[in-house]
Amino acid sequence: MDFLNILARLADLSADTEAGAAPRRTALARLGQAGATLLPAAVAVLPRPAAAGVQDNSTVLDVLRLALTLEYLESEFYAQALALPNAAAFFGSAANRNAIQTIAVHESQHVALLQRLLTEAGATVPSKPSFDFTGSKNGTQTALFPDIFTNFDTFLKVAQLLEDVGIRAYKGQVEFLQLDSLLLGTLLRLHSTEGRHAAHIRTMRRQRGAAVKSWVNPTDAAITTTGSVPGQAYAGESNTAQYTPAPRLIPFDTTLPINVGTPALSKEALLAKVAEAFDEPINAATATELAQLFIY
Amino acid sequence: MSNITQPGGDEAEFAKPLYTPIKRRSFFMYAGATAGATALLLTGCDDDDDNVTTNNGTVSLGSGDVGVLNYAYALEQLEAAFYAQVIATPYSGITTDERAALTAISKHEAIHRDFFKAALTAAAPGQIIPGLNPDFSKVNFTDRNSVLTTARTFEDLGVAAYNGAGSLIKTNDYLLIAGKIVSVEARHAAYIRDLLTPGSFSGSDVVNAQGLDQALTVAQVLTAAQPFIKETLNGDNVGK
Repeated sequence: MDFLNILARLADLSADTEAGAAPRRTALARLGQAGATLLPAAVAVLPRPAAAGVQDNSTVLDVLRLALTLEYLESEFYAQALALPNAAAFFGSAANRNAIQTIAVHESQHVALLQRLLTEAGATVPSKPSFDFTGSKNGTQTALFPDIFTNFDTFLKVAQLLEDVGIRAYKGQVEFLQLDSLLLGTLLRLHSTEGRHAAHIRTMRRQRGAAVKSWVNPTDAAITTTGSVPGQAYAGESNTAQYTPAPRLIPFDTTLPINVGTPALSKEALLAKVAEAFDEPINAATATELAQLFIY
Repeated sequence: MSNITQPGGDEAEFAKPLYTPIKRRSFFMYAGATAGATALLLTGCDDDDDNVTTNNGTVSLGSGDVGVLNYAYALEQLEAAFYAQVIATPYSGITTDERAALTAISKHEAIHRDFFKAALTAAAPGQIIPGLNPDFSKVNFTDRNSVLTTARTFEDLGVAAYNGAGSLIKTNDYLLIAGKIVSVEARHAAYIRDLLTPGSFSGSDVVNAQGLDQALTVAQVLTAAQPFIKETLNGDNVGK
């Protein structure tokens, strides 16, 4: 608890500094360096089961760079589809095209926002990587999704994967922004926008016959293979162990009297709903590995 | 907004484990009938506690992280109660798909609600707000548009509330949990919005020109939620 108080005081300190004369650029740059020393301590003081959370030692700048990589990825993915010479036929309907256009605009706005935040922090803005959305690394290996831009259903599968991964990646990073309330608020707002995108892509797929809900759940038709690199996109999403500090496990499956309405659910059915009710984080290494599927 | 203030002393008196959740609930049932002249100070077990409930139906959410947990608990109670009614009395013309999805959402919200109750029981058993009484008198549960419009309001509000509350949270574990829940609320919001108007999943009324979803302050959220709750909620100290 002492450590948490210290964290809270640090947060106050940081807020005070920013409210004062210090320019935001300096504050951000300082936090970027401070994170490296602060966060391993947090991990040491608050040990907990691996399933309970993500543990690495990202700085604020690391978080922004990772977020920019993922937004570059999503933005380029939708832009390439919208630029197809046969785009009208590819999308099949104006509604489909408009939905992808809506999402594409948001992703490019996210890119611009993150570039600006990095610039304001005094950091070098990483340039956009080269992308190959077939997953063939520019023809140097077997393609994972060879018909990505010829089959709209394949395109939507990968869109779902990218959106769900984006959500999980942001979720894994929020804890490293706790000392900067403005950045934290900004990334949370990026994060829930991705949640809306993911739900809509999933709705589009469902309307085209895929067995998939608008939220991640154990009965979704698999779009990746468990154990593969793409499979990490959904590994751990069925987690039902949720913790509060100490850490204390919330006993969904034993003693907690959850009233989910009539008829009551079996333990298994209840846990399936618990899995749906919480989206799970991935750490920076996993997010990066997933992004690398499409980067050469 | 409230005439309730936290007196400086007597906290130790109220910190005794007298107010277990069950006793506390029954206490509330009688509190309304008690002609108490003073504010009823029900809780108090740490240095930033000021969770106060009066017999005129005002519920204080409290301060610090406990305040944020109570805030989330209040909103999840509201959502869970709403969807329970939607499932109990489905609107005319509800499709099989809609019923299945709304049933799933009702269970998610009930799980969120009971999660926060359990989290509060672990963190501050004397400071849990009571079960709130919803006021859905303006909702026509037989009418699809009325139900889905209300659902959209609640889901968009929930997303904006979690986004706005993130920076109020002091404890990392709670922040992570809020993150795990808010994206599910965003998925709900998108699904409901698409039912009302296909393609409106992230309309410009909720996502701005920087691609940022809404974030609202506690005061803004409570102003929007208050018409649906019979008790008056006071969130003045949430996160403080």
